[in-house]
Amino acid sequence: METMVEDETLQKVAEIVGSEAAVQVIEVLKGVNEITDDEIANKTEIRLNSVRKILYKLYDHSLVALRRSRDQHTGWFIFHWRLQPDQLEGFILNQKKRVYEKLETRLGFEKDHVFYFCGVPECRKIPFEEAMELIFRCPTCNKLLMHFDNSAFIEILRLKVDELRKELSE
Amino acid sequence: MPKRDDREYKALHFIVNMGSQGVLQSDLWRKLGASSREGSRIALKLENKGLIKREKELFGGRWTYRLYSKRMPVSINSIIDCPCLMCANDARCGAWGTISPNECERLTAWVLSLRQGDADLSGES
Repeated sequence: METMVEDETLQKVAEIVGSEAAVQVIEVLKGVNEITDDEIANKTEIRLNSVRKILYKLYDHSLVALRRSRDQHTGWFIFHWRLQPDQLEGFILNQKKRVYEKLETRLGFEKDHVFYFCGVPECRKIPFEEAMELIFRCPTCNKLLMHFDNSAFIEILRLKVDELRKELSE
Repeated sequence: MPKRDDREYKALHFIVNMGSQGVLQSDLWRKLGASSREGSRIALKLENKGLIKREKELFGGRWTYRLYSKRMPVSINSIIDCPCLMCANDARCGAWGTISPNECERLTAWVLSLRQGDADLSGES
């Protein structure tokens, strides 16, 4: 079955991959079957080297495909680009899986450790084992380290991990 | 005149883009420039193919259908602000790496931003 992706999602992915200019490039690619980088640069008024940079970034994630042909007069290669919307779903699922794995790692770490904190927002929370070695003094500001209850943080993490797990299993 | 398959695709694309709120059948045909007879035929066809579902709805004193896509489009909203997306340190990031999600301040800030205000996150005990 054909992949269905919202236009809005396509824009968001373009923004993530390569900023506002990438959104413009995607908009142009959406309206045509195939187009050269030169033509995209003319249509969007973005500099040619920036257009190429964006296209290669999108290409790295398989969101666009290219075809090469040779210019009869100059002998140079011409690259023809086209959007691959069917790859977008895979890209999003991959990213979700990656984030899910990182959050699960973090959740395990938070559950398995008792933390100590000096209360200064810029300083980090320190696991008990490390805090003991530091004689319960913050290595950054030297303030006394106090027990830090991370249960609220664990709860947020757990909710997000559950949400992503559900989305990935759909 | 556009081919019927083309219209079917356009109709489906429009319904999918409306997400969970769906779209009124009458609004859709106006948008596609089709007649109501053509419109309901296409809707029926999409329903028979298992691509959409139709639910009866009273609108402006007349019965019509609201059309929903059966397969919701994949969305990136749940991770849109996550700093791990396109993180330059991704290749080096792991539980035992020099950079780890366990100590990443950007990740911590993002997690905290997810439910800011819902719970007391001061952690003082």
